[in-house]
This record gives sequence, C-alpha cells and structure tokens, in this order.
Amino acid sequence: MIHSGADSPIFVMATEIEKQADSAPLDPKLFNAVECYHRFLQDPDMSTPVATFKVFTEFIRCSQAPTMTEFLETLRQVGETIQDASIYDSNEWKSLNNSRTRNPHKATIATLAGIHLFNQFVRRNSSDFTELEDLKATLLNGSARILEKAASARERVAETGAQFVHDNAVILVHSYSRTVMNVLQYAANVQNKRFKVYVTEGRPTSDGLVAVSELQASGIPCAAVLDSAVGFILDKVDMIFVGAEGVVENGGIINQIGTYQIALVAKALSKPVYAIAESYKFVRLYPLNQYDLPSIVPDIVSFSTRRKSSSNALDLGENHSVDLAMSNPSVDYTPPQYLTLLLTDLGVLTPSGVSDELIKLYL
Amino acid sequence: MVLSKALEAHVESFISRLKRRQIVGSYEVAKETAIILRQVVSTTRWSDATVLIQIIKDLGRRLSAAQPKELAVGNIVRRVLKIIKEVVRGELETDDIMNSGTSEESDDGFSDDDEEDNEEDSDREFKSILAQDTNDNADHTNDAIPARPKLQTESSMFNLLVDQHSDNVDYSAKSYGMKPLIIQEINEEIIADLETVYKGIADQALEHIHANEVIMTIGYSRTVKDFLTKAALKRNFQVIVAETSPTLQGQEMAAALAAVGIETTVITDSAVYAVMSRVNKVVIGAHAVLANGGLVAVTGSQMVAAAAKHHATPVLVCTALYKLSPLFPYDIDLFNVCVTPDQVLSFSEGTLIDKADVQNPYYDFVAPEFVNLFVHNLGSAPPSYVYRLINDNYDSEDTIL
Repeated sequence: MIHSGADSPIFVMATEIEKQADSAPLDPKLFNAVECYHRFLQDPDMSTPVATFKVFTEFIRCSQAPTMTEFLETLRQVGETIQDASIYDSNEWKSLNNSRTRNPHKATIATLAGIHLFNQFVRRNSSDFTELEDLKATLLNGSARILEKAASARERVAETGAQFVHDNAVILVHSYSRTVMNVLQYAANVQNKRFKVYVTEGRPTSDGLVAVSELQASGIPCAAVLDSAVGFILDKVDMIFVGAEGVVENGGIINQIGTYQIALVAKALSKPVYAIAESYKFVRLYPLNQYDLPSIVPDIVSFSTRRKSSSNALDLGENHSVDLAMSNPSVDYTPPQYLTLLLTDLGVLTPSGVSDELIKLYL
Repeated sequence: MVLSKALEAHVESFISRLKRRQIVGSYEVAKETAIILRQVVSTTRWSDATVLIQIIKDLGRRLSAAQPKELAVGNIVRRVLKIIKEVVRGELETDDIMNSGTSEESDDGFSDDDEEDNEEDSDREFKSILAQDTNDNADHTNDAIPARPKLQTESSMFNLLVDQHSDNVDYSAKSYGMKPLIIQEINEEIIADLETVYKGIADQALEHIHANEVIMTIGYSRTVKDFLTKAALKRNFQVIVAETSPTLQGQEMAAALAAVGIETTVITDSAVYAVMSRVNKVVIGAHAVLANGGLVAVTGSQMVAAAAKHHATPVLVCTALYKLSPLFPYDIDLFNVCVTPDQVLSFSEGTLIDKADVQNPYYDFVAPEFVNLFVHNLGSAPPSYVYRLINDNYDSEDTIL
C-alpha cells in the first residue's frame, strides 16, 4: 500500500501514546494496528468494514492484557487508532491522485461502520463473562463466524440486485463500486441478461474509467459519460445503480461525491435509484445535512480569499488536479427520499427498513 | 407421485382453472390454495418436516407457475411454510395437540366452505370447553382488532451478532403429533383468517369515513363494498364510482352500494379528474400489494391515484393481509396481464380490428408514493410500513419459492 511517508502512521500512533501515557500502559501489540489494517486493505476484494473487523480479531489474538478492563480499554484504543488512520488515509488519497491508482483507503465512514459493529459485538458478549480468556475465546469464535458470513455477503447482494436488471435495460452506474460491479456481472454472466451500462467518470479519481474497462472485460456493453452529462443521458436510462460507503440510520447513503446530484436528477425525471450495499456497511449516523459527516471538512466549504481562489483557477500546472481534489469533498450524503430501494444481502429494503435493522442490532 | 390420486386430480383441476383464468380474484384463489395445502399436509406421507416443506414448496412452485399474476397463491404457500417451521421449532403451545382431534376430519375429500365453518366452530367450542383458549389466534372472532405483531428480532443482520445455534433447527427430527398441530394452525391462522378479513377491514370504516364526505372508488371490490356499507350504517356520505371501462365493474359496484342505501353517482372514467376536486377521500381495493408498498389493482386505479395526488386527496387502499406479497415490482409490467380486447372493440367489427392493434390490460400498477394508507384486517399502515408486515407474515428464506 502506498504511503507518502513511512513515518506518518507512526506519527498518528505517537500522539496516541502521548495521550495515553499517563493512564494505562498500552499493549505493545497495539503498535501494529494501523500496519495490520493497511495490510488487510491491500487485498483489492477486501471491503473496509471487514478489514476493520479483521484488525480487531488479530488484536484479540495477540493481546496480552492481564485484566478485563485493560483489555476493553486497549480494544477501544485500537478502534480510535484505526479511525484516525482512515481519516489520515483519506487525506493521503487525495494527494496521490496523480498516480491514478485506486486507493481503497478513502472509506472513513465504512471504517466507522466496522468499528461500531465490533464494539457492539464486544458489548453484547462482555457482560456474560468474568474470565478474560473465556471472553477472548468467545469473541474469536464469534468473529470467525461473522467474517464467514461477511465473505458471502457480496454474493448474496449480487443475487438480490440482479433481479432488478431486466433484458434491454439501460443502467446508469456512478463511478466504481465493487458491489455494483458484482451485481452487473452476476446479471450478465450468471443470469445471461443483456443490458447496457453507462458509467459516470467519477471525478476527481476517475474510477468510472476503471469500471468501464472491467465491464468491457466481462463483455457488458458500456460507455463512460461525464459527471456533468448525467442530466443529458438520463432520458435514455431505465434505472440507476449506486454503491454506498455507508448506509446511515434514516436509510440515506454516504457515497462517492456526485451521488446526491444524480439522485436529484433521477427524482426529477422519475427514474428509480437503487443503492447497493452489504449490511455491514450500515452505520449508526444520522447526518442532518451534507456537512454533518465525520470525515474531512474540505476547504471548499469554507471560502478561501479572493486572491487564493483566483490563483487556483489560473493554475494549470501539474498540481492543479491535486489542489482540486484536496479542496473538494470525496463523499456526499444522499437523503432517503431520493432512493427507491436498497438492495442488500438481507434482501431488498425500503429506506425506512434500514432503521429497523439498525435498531435490532444496537438495541 | 407424492400426492394421493384424488388430491393430484384436485391440484390439476385447480391449475387448469388458474391457467384459463376461470378462477380469478385473490380471495377465491387464496382459499382454494389453503384448502389444497391442508390436504397435502394431512393426506401425503411424510416422516419429517423437511420432506413436508419440500413437498409444499414443489407444489407451491407448480401452482404459482400456473398463474404468476395471482400472487395470493404464493402468499398462502409462504404462510403455510412459515407455520410448519414454527410448529417444528415448537413455538406454538404443544398442549393444543390434545384438542386437535377434531381438525383431523378434514382428511376426507374436498370439504366445501360450509363444512369448513362448522369444523372451525366446533373446534373452537371444544377448545373453550377445555378452557385452553390461550391461543392469540382465537381473537379473530372478537370485534377487537388484535394488537399489532411484535417487532421480529430475527434477521440476518441481527444474527451477525448473536449466537447462531438457535437458528439451526433440525427440521428432519421425527416428531409424531406434528401433523394435527400443523393442520390446526392452517385452519386457524389461514382459513379462519380468510373468513374474517372483510369484517376486520369493514370494522375500521368509521375511523376513516366521516359524515357528509364525498368518497371516490373504482372497480368492484368486495372489501371496499363491505367497508362502505359498514360506514353507511352510521354515517351519511356520498360515493362517486368510476364506471371502470371496459369491464364496467364500477357500474356493478354502484348498483351494490345504491342497494344498501348509499347516495351513489356513476361517472365515466374520463371524468375522474374533473370531479376529483370535490372528493374528500379515495378508497380503492387491491389485487395484490407488493413489498415496496406499491399495489396491483384494477385498471384505471393509477389514473384515479394520480388525479388524487394532484389534488392532495388522501388515497386509502383496503386490502387483506393475504394479498401482501414479498415480491418487488422488478418491472412494472411484470404483474400485468392483457386480456381479450373484445370488450374494448368487439370482434364483430372485424374490419376495424384488422387495422388497429387493440390492447386490454387488466391491472394497473400504482406506485407507493400515490398511496396514503393501507387499511388491512389487523389495522392500518402507511406504504413505508408494508415491508414490516411482510417480515411478520413470511419467512424471508421463502421469498423465492
């Protein structure tokens, strides 16, 4: 995995240590949390919440905490460390934009979903045990089972989602999403449906172009369209598929920038918008507006000085697109009223069904 | 062949009637499906529940393939499957086995509806004598609307975190005495439930229809007719019925409503928008309700709903729970059917028929955003709540038969 500087994750850790220095001593194994997280993410098929979950599992396996309290405390610290790392990564992702390598690290919200899920899992179990070793064994057993389930989630999503693809359909896909790719490939190769796909470019990462080449490789007719051409192309489109980095409590989604405006245009033209996500991406957040997300607040939200912005506009040098990526948000929030249905491994859900699932999980 | 000869003949006749659309309407279809399935449980040989579930699933697949537009078939099959699984898991009181001897009678032949009723009554009386009437389902006979089903806590998301052991029920365990219990549950939960749906819905009429209101409806629906009739016992209101061309079911409906003394007006379908500004409420029936809250209803319903939306007139849909289907409208034409165009343009006008393409779709799909409230036999729910009713009524693994 790419790091701008090898010392940076350690820097994150260093502040962590300083913060904790006067309280309980840190478990030495904790130092590996970020490295471990990055190692898991190197697998291109690994989704962020699952990677987060695996880091926790790994940590439990090597934890030497002598008491229950310390164990739970260090576990909490691991969570914070990973969260910090993911925020750091999402910054780093932007600065490396030029290399055009896709970086799966950007998913701050997805990491949060994984951390929440694991914390809840621990909370559910921790009260039942007095012996630390028993608790650890149960947690390891349980998480092995959860990971097993999570591994098959994408397949089940593909089965659910492919039902909605019909012959001669024209589908608009926003940028690159592994789950959406799975659905389309399942519909084309397993169910032998014939359909066409438009993929938005997905600036500034241009991940959409990757999606186009992947779809072409699996023999699905497709074409890339500019992000700004969505309104133009939508008349020809039957339905819209978008992925999700996180599905929030009210059934809205947090996804790559541009999803919200596509959903708005789709609503205006009465086209169905289907969000495709695995259930482990459900996260307990309730964003009230676009800026109410626990991720980086980009510069664009606060105005820069006139001089700076004009120099930005005129700067056509090499760093131009980097600047653009740095000063723009990477995700936006799409409220539930603009989504028709959510296609998940739990089956098809209406946006209002999401809160039900989350209540069951966290009650 | 797993089914007995007589039963196989019954199934075949049902299938051919379904195919020829000689049996239409979700109530008749649901009822016959339930009776057939009960006979399958009682007359076929099965040693454990796995075999039974497989038999029911196979038969269910055959029946719903015969007429995919009659979604009630699949719904009843899913209900029966859920009942079997509940019985096996032992979720129902086992002491009910004691008094289930009476329901064994159904084994002989094809009992008609009257027999069903008697059987049900005797069953219930017997139970009350034994003072074992602890089963909630007996409440259906009371006037009170039973409490809303509790929030189900079983779903795969939840199971991610809790222990899985409870989930792996061994359905293949031999269990003597399951058969009468399953039959009894089918009788009570499904067949007896079917008898009371109209009443359950009509009992809520006074909550929704107020004095001097103008109600619009379309098509002939027994549910809506009973609903309005019940309201007319107490309240004075006016009903406008769209004639529902080309079947003219609306005229039939108007005649039925006028017969019970409701002030009724018939309008042509094209006048729906014109009179909508005077209407206080739209009450329509449904052929099937899909999992997203959309519904399949008589042709013209979408037009009425769209006109109502324009005027912000509330749209009420009266539907029994057995019409709720866990399927989604993957494609809005999927659940429609085009019937003979004879009523649109008679075949006697051969010269014209040659030149024009005449279509006669039987149903309409009404999207959930056009509906304000579903009134069902256990209460009422907005479209966004329908998924929950479906989770309560069916097992999610049975969605695809």
